[in-house]
Amino acid sequence: MLAVQGVSRSFGGVYAVRDVTLDVADGEVCGVIGPNGAGKSTLFNLITGHLAAERGEISFLGRRVDRLAPHRRARLGMSIVFQAARVFRGMTVRENVMVGLHGRTSAGFVAAALRLPRHRRDEREIAARADAALDRVGLSEWADRPADQLPIGQQRALQLARALCARPRLLLLDEPASGLRGQERERLAELVEELRAGGLTILLVEHDVAFVTRLADRIVVLDLGRVIADGPPAEVRNDPLVLAAYLGQSA
Amino acid sequence: MMLGRVAVPLAAAVTLALPAVLDDSALAVYVLLGLAAMVTVGVSLLMGYAGQVSLGQGAFYGVGAYTAALLALNGLPPLLGLLAAPVAAAAFALVVGLPLLRLRGHHLAFATLAMQLILLSLAGQLDFTGGDIGLQAIPPFSAWSFEAGGVTAYAYLTWAGLALVMLVTRNVIASRPGRALRALATSETAAASSGIPVGRYKLAVLALSAAFAGLAGGIYCFYTGYVAPGSFPVLISIQYIVMAVVGGLGTIWGAVVGAAAITLLVQGLDRLANLPGMPSYAPGVLSYAVYALVLIAVVLFLPNGLVPAIRRLLSRERPAKTR
Repeated sequence: MLAVQGVSRSFGGVYAVRDVTLDVADGEVCGVIGPNGAGKSTLFNLITGHLAAERGEISFLGRRVDRLAPHRRARLGMSIVFQAARVFRGMTVRENVMVGLHGRTSAGFVAAALRLPRHRRDEREIAARADAALDRVGLSEWADRPADQLPIGQQRALQLARALCARPRLLLLDEPASGLRGQERERLAELVEELRAGGLTILLVEHDVAFVTRLADRIVVLDLGRVIADGPPAEVRNDPLVLAAYLGQSA
Repeated sequence: MMLGRVAVPLAAAVTLALPAVLDDSALAVYVLLGLAAMVTVGVSLLMGYAGQVSLGQGAFYGVGAYTAALLALNGLPPLLGLLAAPVAAAAFALVVGLPLLRLRGHHLAFATLAMQLILLSLAGQLDFTGGDIGLQAIPPFSAWSFEAGGVTAYAYLTWAGLALVMLVTRNVIASRPGRALRALATSETAAASSGIPVGRYKLAVLALSAAFAGLAGGIYCFYTGYVAPGSFPVLISIQYIVMAVVGGLGTIWGAVVGAAAITLLVQGLDRLANLPGMPSYAPGVLSYAVYALVLIAVVLFLPNGLVPAIRRLLSRERPAKTR
């Protein structure tokens, strides 16, 4: 599904990601972990297209995407949940989720300004699908509230609803557990488990090792921009290189 | 919504009735107010909803005015000139927006300001725009058998144009492209990852706001009968932003209320300053100092603008009926 092949990116002469190769198979939950500064966020941004790779190739669904703009990758079926609360201010919860369907619909300025039938039909379908996605993450009763007034845990759930309503082929989660407390974290883990059971392919970049170990089929460990381990959670957890990387940081 | 059901028909009735009761000098203010409101709706769409700044809306106003004037002076029907004005302004916005919209925040503000200065100096130098003297003897507006004779006709034309601009804006905001614009105002990264082509949408909203300004400019040139670089000073661009902010950014009615408040304030101060017995420095003091003080007061005490403040007041009185 996703193939990252020898990708590198440096900032001011220092490699943040160096020669990283990583594959995510169809229907798999792949976790990427690593200590602070390991290059997780850089790798994430290279895959989503918010950073350009200096070397290497990224393919998605068998197609080269490393020169495509972020919105084109999104339209191919990548949906993202960001770490920072990226809910759209000044819009309701439902409207926020409706934005997620942008790439799946087409009514433009003219159709909207003139309220053409096509636009009305689109709007009805977008709203219905957004409501279904809100229902799935348990935010239905908040639908008409301003999105920026939601607590952080629900903002993350909102982002998840926005990502899901586009019916992605690949869901990318950037540190989804950060800033969440016990119960919120448990809710999120259950949601991800439900999605995995439904056959969705997920790339989970996460600092919290326990969270990833529970959810991932396979874990890739980054340290200083390189892949130092790649395998099933039980195997990776006992890898001496991984232990050294985390202990070296005394994490 | 409740508020809208009462306010919209009321506003429409007042709009239609006013030209019948106002005298000619008051009607002139009424026309200029409507034109300013038309441009300000575009500014509110651009700044309030899409989060982009333009200190050059006066340039688009000017492009619209010159386009309509040149076409009409070359013997084309005025209706064609009026229709071409928003199209030319939008096309101009697309061309300058391509490089300018790579900038953000105050860089974008200064670049749009520079764009207007360049355009003004070009209009003052070129032959076909009539140089500093500008274009004169523009025929009155006419369409089919109708000819705009007096100021009343322009008042109706202006406010019909404003109604159209408000309707288009309302429809766009509540739609798929409108949601995309509001989304990219918060985060271009998250918007792009939802499949929104951010650059193209920023360009489109600049062009739409320019079209509104261009339409206002087209009406203006037929109304006054002449256009010159001096008709579109940089100050006018700043005034549109002031109107949008005072009325309430990100509300359509705020643009109209803001335009009305500032236009009437400026007119009122002007009349006050020219009353007999006023000292000779009165016009300067009143038009700058009092104007500035009112602005500071609004920003300090009503930071969201007039319309949101009025809405809050009304909804507090009827807590059961709020949205």
